[in-house]
Parts: sequence; structure tokens; C-alpha cells
Amino acid sequence: MQKISPILMLLFLISTANAQDFKYGKVSREEVMEKNHPLEKDVNAAVLYRSVRTYYEFNDSSGFILVTNVHERIKIYNKDGFEWATKEVFHYKNGSSKENVTGIKASTFHMVGDKLVEEKLNKNGIFKEETTKYQLSTKFTMPAVTEGSVIEYQYSLRSPFVTSIDDILLQYTIPINRLEASVKIPEFFGFVKHTNPRSPLFFKIDEGTGNKTYNSTSSTRPEGYTMGATHTQSSRINYAEISYTTSKDDIPPLKIEPHVDYLSNYAAFLKWELQYTKFPNSPIENLTNTWEGVTKTIFTDGGYDKELSRTRYFAKDLDKHLAGETDPLAKAEKIYSFAKSKVKWNSYLGYRAEAGGNKVYKDGEGNVGDINLMLTAMLRYAGLEANPVLLSTKNNGIPLFPTLKGFNYVISSVELQGQVILLDATEENSSFGELPSRARNWNGRIVMDRERSDWIDLMPKLPSTNSFTLNLQIEEGQNLKGKSFNVFSGLYAKTYRDKYKNIDLDNYIQILEKDRGNIQISELETEGQKFGSEIRESFSFELPEGIENINGKLYLKPLLFMAESENPFKADERFYPIIFDFPSVEDRIVNILIPPGYEVESLPESTIVQLNNGAGTFKFIIAQNGNFLRVVSNMDLKNIVYTPQDYESLKKFYAQVVEKHAEAIVLTKS
Amino acid sequence: MSLKLFTITFLLCLGELQAQIKDLSVSQISPELILNANAVLRDDQTTIEVDASNKMTIYKIRSVTVMNEYGQRHVQAYQYYDSERKIKKLKATIYNAAGKEIKKYKQKDFKDRSAVGSGDLYTDNRVQYLDHTAQSYPYTVVFESETKTGTTVFIDPWQPVSGYYLSVENSSYSLLNPGQIALRKEELNFEQQKISKNITPTLLEYNLKKVPAYKMENLSPVLDKFVPMLKVALDEFALVGVIGQASNWLEFGKWQHDNLLMGKDKLPAATLHKISQLTKDAESEIEKAKIIYQYVQDNTRYISVQLGIGGWEPMLAEDVDRLGYGDCKALTNYTKALLDSQDILSHYAIVFAGEERKDLDLDFASMQGNHVILNIPLEEEDVWLECTSQTMPFNYLGDFTDNRNVLLVKPEGGEIVKTKAYAYTENVRETFSKIKLDNSGSYTAEVKRKSEGIPYGNIYHLIRESKENQVLYYKNHWGHLQNINFQQIFFDNNRDDRRFIEEIKFSGQKLTSKAGNRLLLSTHFFTTPTYNLNRSTDRKLPFEIERGYTYRDVFEFQLPENYSTESIPEEEMIQTQFGTYKVKLEAGEKEGKNTITMVREYILYDGIWPAELYSEFYAFMNKINSLNNQKAVIIAGT
Repeated sequence: MQKISPILMLLFLISTANAQDFKYGKVSREEVMEKNHPLEKDVNAAVLYRSVRTYYEFNDSSGFILVTNVHERIKIYNKDGFEWATKEVFHYKNGSSKENVTGIKASTFHMVGDKLVEEKLNKNGIFKEETTKYQLSTKFTMPAVTEGSVIEYQYSLRSPFVTSIDDILLQYTIPINRLEASVKIPEFFGFVKHTNPRSPLFFKIDEGTGNKTYNSTSSTRPEGYTMGATHTQSSRINYAEISYTTSKDDIPPLKIEPHVDYLSNYAAFLKWELQYTKFPNSPIENLTNTWEGVTKTIFTDGGYDKELSRTRYFAKDLDKHLAGETDPLAKAEKIYSFAKSKVKWNSYLGYRAEAGGNKVYKDGEGNVGDINLMLTAMLRYAGLEANPVLLSTKNNGIPLFPTLKGFNYVISSVELQGQVILLDATEENSSFGELPSRARNWNGRIVMDRERSDWIDLMPKLPSTNSFTLNLQIEEGQNLKGKSFNVFSGLYAKTYRDKYKNIDLDNYIQILEKDRGNIQISELETEGQKFGSEIRESFSFELPEGIENINGKLYLKPLLFMAESENPFKADERFYPIIFDFPSVEDRIVNILIPPGYEVESLPESTIVQLNNGAGTFKFIIAQNGNFLRVVSNMDLKNIVYTPQDYESLKKFYAQVVEKHAEAIVLTKS
Repeated sequence: MSLKLFTITFLLCLGELQAQIKDLSVSQISPELILNANAVLRDDQTTIEVDASNKMTIYKIRSVTVMNEYGQRHVQAYQYYDSERKIKKLKATIYNAAGKEIKKYKQKDFKDRSAVGSGDLYTDNRVQYLDHTAQSYPYTVVFESETKTGTTVFIDPWQPVSGYYLSVENSSYSLLNPGQIALRKEELNFEQQKISKNITPTLLEYNLKKVPAYKMENLSPVLDKFVPMLKVALDEFALVGVIGQASNWLEFGKWQHDNLLMGKDKLPAATLHKISQLTKDAESEIEKAKIIYQYVQDNTRYISVQLGIGGWEPMLAEDVDRLGYGDCKALTNYTKALLDSQDILSHYAIVFAGEERKDLDLDFASMQGNHVILNIPLEEEDVWLECTSQTMPFNYLGDFTDNRNVLLVKPEGGEIVKTKAYAYTENVRETFSKIKLDNSGSYTAEVKRKSEGIPYGNIYHLIRESKENQVLYYKNHWGHLQNINFQQIFFDNNRDDRRFIEEIKFSGQKLTSKAGNRLLLSTHFFTTPTYNLNRSTDRKLPFEIERGYTYRDVFEFQLPENYSTESIPEEEMIQTQFGTYKVKLEAGEKEGKNTITMVREYILYDGIWPAELYSEFYAFMNKINSLNNQKAVIIAGT
């Protein structure tokens, strides 16, 4: 057999790759006949081609509008890929300005016998609806889709919101075989682009400058973002247009995994942020290009000066509430609970005070901005060093580069004895200094005033502690009897309150009894369930057949229902970091009275397991003292963020915990 | 006419007055209504005025005191509307615990959004809803609405106790029928309650006072089975402009057939030809039906668009043929049209779908149901088809539509029949496992599992998952097994027999735990699925198991080299009226190695039992749970 030279083979490969024609409608027989994706065998669908082209159009009546043309060709391999045959485009409106989806053209391609058939989308298969006051949606679903079909569609999104270019997604949860994107921006708009540094995919972006000419024939003065005064009947305007283009083949799908903070944090995308506008005959208007700039813009546009200095509406009530209090910490704590009791959160996000402190104070409800700026104003009024802290919630992603969209939330902070304590009064169950999970997202920006701002770590540093103690007695007939004392502190207390704060004790007993064998719980008492830094609970219980009696020997797994019985990490591999909610310490202590007539035959061995040089520690210690056995299991996880490389050791660490918790104590008749 | 006006005005005035003068402070609620209540329905007045058979006005005043955050869902301050149903008035007033007014919402303060459900592509239904943040609990919302609609085929029923943990202080319902249009009504579960009523030729009036909240209990039957409910239907009605007359299921079905179904079955010649070709060699009707169902599954998908009357009638069969999609009505009608073309009789069947069984009311003909399936009355048996699924086997309903009353819409009229019930003898899951142990506690296992009946429907989708997800499924499903690694995952999806077989080989660690020089072996390699029940000393409601099952398992353990059995748990056999449980272990020898074999059978019957028997059922479940912890002791040497 003759050898084919590698170069020839390469040429051959290139030519087949190029054989695909991505012009609209030129779907090939090969594409429709393909049975599996060549690289990702398991996927239900793949994007064969995706093109996004964004540019500005000018006309006299409406000035600039922003146009985005989208063209996608998608292969459906099987029935589970049918969801990709329905497309929904969200667009926005604000008063009378709205984005429009136009020029929808779509077809399904499939084989009938050995003939390639195209089925076109009808107008009556397109649905437009007003989802909410600000959001519109255009949906269409493709006709005649079967396994193997290739669908293709294109549409234009025409937007009057010219200072805001939508994010361009460069990665989906299915593969993208070929992607092309371009953005062309007139020199009047100074945009800067950002890619996602947390995505391992690299996109080469080519930049260029071209010339554009526009002949204006209108005599009216255009409105909105336009090129300034055009008084003449006709004029000719030259301007530069900056273009960005990128393309890439074989973009792998984004994997879905548990314990990820927010999947989109890891997707490849292009984001656009307006930095300045520079219209003819007008000075450059700088917007944002640094975090200082972003902060300043928010400070100014968000009316922070006003919100933070307005005090009259609460002054009298607050004076009364703080009467006689001089200790700064006590003052701050009182103000925090006062703010929480006065205004409840209406579930709306935002760093802006939507209604304003004075109004929400009266109404009793407000958005995040309203509440936490009001809290900051109160703290300042009381003479404390308090500042707002801008941040991005978990599902808004991590603020990676200076953009206004990088933030969507604001909290408050107070400095006491050189320590900055973060406060969020929107969360009923957060104690002083605790943030709700949505706000614990890497770093925030503390804003001292219009000019001064700085980064601040939002992740909890102090461990939260859970401690469970059981005192066990072994009764006749394999029954166990005992008392349980539990203490929840820090964010464990918050979690507890989020779940059980208003539950009646009867129902709570039912929850405690669930999945704990045939346990019967009585004498339940709780303390600090509603307020305070920790929650204490205690109960008595009986657990029939909680111990095995085999041939006169007693086998007891001492941690009973407190044992870690499953490894939370099950997957073989990991692609993204593992993120825990907060640093934690979990203590489980069991005291056992050896019944008369029995002695210890064997005990599980004590052990200490380290995770990543002290990032985590597991101690399991068992000691006998006369008739008493004491078992202590201590799990201390200092780190909350682990890299995919740490995954194996984390999984092993948990496996050892599960194993140790499953070991039995053996007692024999003496 | 003047009389009518007078009555309405009078009633409305009364309504307004009551809504305002009633003391809404929480202290006015009697203690027995606070017990177990997350919310208290203080006052609830529904007034329906039937102006004509195609015109009615609905007035609602609903005052709810919300005791805590869980009670929020009982406020129900929202109003659906569409091109037919117009909102004339909408308002809400908030009162604090002392009954003092603290806030008012006008119609423009209500939020407005599309009512598209998660399964819909599009619908013209919209909803206006109150978006209120509670400042503290308890507080009271008084919600008022007035709507007008031309669709009279649906008349709001009266169900004052609409949920658990909701107590009712006062609820009333009136239906004004000045034109004396013939109507039917049905009073359900009225026996237990003191309901006052006033019925005249032009008026229905009902009132219920002081019903304490029901507490949710494990396995309690659906609320509808024991709380009072009044259903009303007009004999002359309209549905989005289509008028009708019916007073029983026969007539109602006939009306649906003639107005909503008939004439929507035409198919293009090419498709008819294709179907004839595909079925020409099939020998029986059932074979042909199977081929047609497969054709539908391969060429359509479920897409729901609900627009005007389109929400109630199927798309044309030829449109489904061209577009390749439709909702349950459209796909069922399409399948029916294809069957018709081969002279196979089938019926469009309207059903309440959902895992929780709900029947169409045999005794009360009205617009009911939320889904459509297809019935083929063959000589051997009734075949049922779920036409919205691309993967379900022929003649398999599963727990979505099994064992319940449905309405067959036939040319000659409607008929209520029951869908297939899956008996415990048909809902079978069997495993056979060989487990080879070594002395470190590691093992290899070969498992074969068979699922039929309802269990089939819960498992067969696994075959379509990616390898990664299949592995994750087993790791979660058998979460009690540590560090397992898979050598083989093989499936046989036998769609003809509706049987799914899994053949899995895997290895794992720590199946035995050490206790000195002995090893403890958990003999229940897989545990049985039992109910995790709450102990209840004061059970109020009966309990129901909707579907019975049979589970059979055999675990054959091969002991490590040089190990022998020291002890095995004794044989157990439990027989109750709820089911049976048997487990038997045997120590033996096979191929020169010591073995322990466990045979287990667990049968759970379906049924409904009175509250008094709950503790007995609880004991049965508990006994099984504790047997799940059984261990054998094996020892080295000897």
C-alpha cells in the first residue's frame, strides 16, 4: 500500500473542512446525513455555524441605530436535541423606545428518501409577546424537525439603545463548529471589548479602521445620539469606523457540573463597554474605563451623595432608638437591626436607590439600593465610619473588568477598631456582619466618596461552626436512648433560620425524624431560633434497633444519624473550581455509657487526615475512660475555593470521612 | 330587568360594605382557626352574574390574613385575562395585624405579565398580579376583582378550603341567573360541613363558616377528595364564541366532537400514500397501529401554542403533517387521522394528566381535563397512546395518565371510561446480583435489573443519557456504596414488552466494615424503596397508596478467600393488609468459595385505608427499614 504524505492528508482535511458552505440556505446533504458529532459523540445537537454581525446604521429621522444580524445553522442529532429547534430572542423596551426583531428567515432541512428537502418557516410560526413591562420576546419554532434535521435561521435585532452592545456568546452547552463575529463601531462611540479571562478558550480578535461616508439630505435636526447640529439641507459626513472580527473552529461545549458558583462565569464571550462618546463639535465625554471611573459614574448617576446625606426622615426615630448608647459596636448593631425592621426587601436588585430612602422608610419596602444606602446614611448619621460597597451577585458573574454592568448590588460597611464589617439589611436572617449567599461573590468595591474607592474581599473569613453532641445509653433489645445537644453558629445559624425560623415544633420534630431510621424524638427545646448569634437545640430520643446484636456481640456505629454517609463528590473528573459556601467547622461528639456486663472488644482507630497542607483537617478520635467511651469527629474546612486540580484530593478526603464514620464499635459480654 | 339590576347593586353594595366594615384585626380570629393555619380566609365572596348564555360577570372579594411566610400562597391576588376575559376592576388593600389599613393598590399598581407556562411556546393568556412585600406577619390582604367574559363553559367552582394549612372564617358564593338558563350543579363533600344555602330559580347562594385548617399528613389523599366543593355548569354555554348545549357527557362529548374536532382530519395524499405503504404488510390492526404510532413519534414533536379557541381545539391534521409539531390535542388528532386512513377506529380522550391521579367527574358533565391521549378500542384490549412523547412505547401510559376516568369524544357523543390501571403484579422490579468480596472490603458486582410497568417509565430514559450522566445516575442512585467504578453499563430497552433491562458491572470498596478480626457485611446490597413516614399519634386523614409494586431481589455474596460465615440474620416474613415482606439468607458454598445468598421479596398494595390503621402501616415500614440494616458476620480462618 502506498503511503499518503502527511502534507497531502492535511490538504485533504483542509479541503473537506472548507467544503462546507455557510451561505444562508446552502445546507449540504453531508450535514443532514451526519449521525454523530465527529468530536463530541454524546451531544444531542451542535451548532454547525454561528455568525453575529453588529454595526451601526444612520438615517436622518432616527439617527444611529444598532443592528445585530444573527445567522445560525444547527444540527439536531436526536430527539433530545429538539429543544434547539425553538429559538427565543429577548429584546427590550423602555417607554416608547424599543428593540425590534426583524427579517426572520428560517428553514429546516431533512432527507426524504435520498432527496434533500427544505421546509420554510411561515410567518404564523413566529410569536411576539410582551413578557413584562421592559422585556419583549420573539419566539419561533422550526417546522418538520426530525432526528438528523439541520435547521438554519437568521434575524436582525435593531436597537435604539446605541450605547449598549449586547454580549456576544462564543460558547454554548453544545459544540460550535464554526463561529464568526464582527462588530463595527463609528468613532463617535468609544467602546472597549472584554473577553472572559476565566475561559480557557482563546479568540484572536483582529482590529481595523475603515472610512464611512454619510450623505444627509434632511433639514430636520435629528434626535437622540446623533452627530450634532445639521442645519444645512444636505451635508456629507466622513467618519472612521473601527471593526473587530474574530472566528474560530471547533469550540467545545460548556460542561454542566454541580458546586459551580455560576456556569456562565466560565463561558467564552465578548462584552462591550462604552468608555466615552465623542461627537463632532462636542467635547469627549468620558464614561468609564477604570474601576475608579465606574465607581464614580455610579456614585454620580446613582445619586449617592443625596442618599447618603439625607437624614431628616429617620433622624428622630433613630435618635430615640439609640438613646444613651455610646459604644460604637453596640450602636452599629442597633442601627443594623433598626434598618432591617423598618424596611423589607421587595426582591429587586440594583445599586441604585429605586424609590429613595425617605420614601421606602415610609412605605416599609424597597430594593437593595434603597435599603443599604439608607443603612449607610444611618450609620454615618450616628457618627460611624460607614461606606457603601458595590458588588456583583453570583448570578451576575464576577466583575472582571471595569464595566457598569459589572455591578448590580450594593451593601453597606462600617469600620470599627480598624476592622471593616460588611452589612446587608435586605436579609432578615443575616446577623450583624453576615452577608447572604448571593452577595458573597469574590470582591466588592468600597466607595468612600466620589473620588476614592477600593477593592474589598466579600468572602467570609471566620469559620461557621456546627456542633452536635450525643449522650448515648444502650438499652435492652438493641435499643438506644439518648440526648442530643446541638449548636449552630455563624452562617449555619442563618441557614437554620432560613429553613426553620417560623416552623412549629411539631413539624420540626417530623423533619428531625426524617431519614433517621425509626427514631422517636421528644423534649425538643430550641433557643435563639429567631435572633442572636447562635441557636441551641436539644432533644431526647429513642432509637429502636439502633445497635446490632449479633451472636451476643453488640455492633454500634457511634455517630448514628450524624454520620456523613455519602461522598458529595461523585463525578470522575472536574472542569471548574469547587466552591463551598463558607469556611466551616463541624464537630460531632458522642459519649457512650457501656452497659453493665459488657466490655469493649474493638474500637475504630483514631486518625487525622489532612487536605492540601491544612486547607482542611479531619480528626476522628476515640477514647475510653472506664465505662465511658468518647468519640470526637472534627471536620475543619478553612478554604472555600478549590481548583479542579484539587478535586481528587477533596474527593479522597471525603471518602475517608465517610469510611471512618461507618466503622463500628464492638462490645462483648464480659 | 330592573329586578336584576336591583339585586346586583344590592349584593355589590353589601359586598363593599362587608369588605370595609369587617374588623380585620387578627385578635378577632377565633383560636381554633389559628391552629395549624398559615393563612386564614377571613372573608371570601364570589358572585357570578349570568347575563346570557354567552355573557357573564364575575365579582370577587377575597380577604386573607397571612399568618406567616408559608401563608403567602393563599393570598391569590391575581387575575388571569385574555381576549375573552376582560378585567373591569382590580384592587387590593393591605391591613396590619391590628386591622388598620396600611396600603392601597389600584389596578395600575398590579404587575402584568404573560401567563406562558414552562411547557408553552405561546399563549394569549396574561395575568395581572399583586407584588407586595410583607412588612411583618400577620397581615391581611383584601383583594377585589371584577371580570367579564363571553366564555361561560367554565363557571368558577366554589372550593373554600383550597389548600392545607388554610382555615376559613367565612366564604360565600352566589350565582345570579335572572334569565333562568337551565343549569346543573353538584355538591361534593358537603356532609361534614355546615353549609347554608338558598336556592331559587334565579339564584344559588351558599355559605360556609369556621373551618379549621387541615394539616398535611403523609400519604393523605388529594384535598379534592374530602373538602367541600360546588360545581356549576350551564346547559347552554359558549366557548370563545362557539355556542353549545349539553346536560350530560353524551351531549357534551357530541358538542365537542361536532364543534372542536370534526373536519380537522384531512391529510395530504403523499402522507396517506406513505402510511399505506408502511402498513401494507402488517397483518393485524394492532401491528398497523404500532407502525403509525412509530411514524408519529419519528416525525413530530411537542410544541404548545394556545391562542383563543385554539386553546380548546386541535390544529388541523394537515398542519401537523407539514409543521411536524403540535400540542397534545393536535398530535392526538393527527395520530387519529392517520389511523382513520387505515380504517382503524380510535377516540380522542380527554384526561386530567399528572402523577397524582385525578378523575374526570363521571356525574358532572362540563369542560374538564388538561391533556388529551388516544384510545384504540381493539378486540383484544383497549390500546392507549400518549402522542406527545417521542420515546414512550406503544400502549404505555405510565403514571401520567393511568387508572382514571377520561372522556372519549366520539361522533355519537361522549363516554366516560377508565384508562389502564397498573396492578402491583405488573409494576415489577427485579434484581439479581453476584458480589465477589475480598478481605479488604473491596468487591466486584454483576447486577442485572429488570423494570416493568410503572418502574419502566421511570428508568427507560437512561438509555438516552450520555455515558457520563449514566455513571452519575448510578453513583447517586446507589449513594450508599462507596467509591464505585463501572466496568460495564448495558441496557436492553424492550419497547414491545415494555421492559427495561440493565446489566451493570462495577467494583467498589468498603462493603464490609471491620469489627476486630471479624467483618460485618450489610446483606442488603440495595435497599428497598420504603416510605419515610412521620410518626403520628393523632392522625386525622385516611392514607392512600396510589400504585402498588413488587420488588424481588437476589444477592449472592462470594466471601473472601479463607473467610467463613459466623452468623447470618434470621428469616423474616411480614404479612399485612398493606403488603408483604420476606427475606431469607443462606450460607453455602459455590466453586470452592463460601457464599451467602439473600432472597428478598417486597410487595406493596395500592389502596386507601382509614386513619386508624396508619400506625400499623408505620410499623410495617419501620420494620422493613430496620431490616435494611441487617448484617452477616464473617470471620477469617477456620
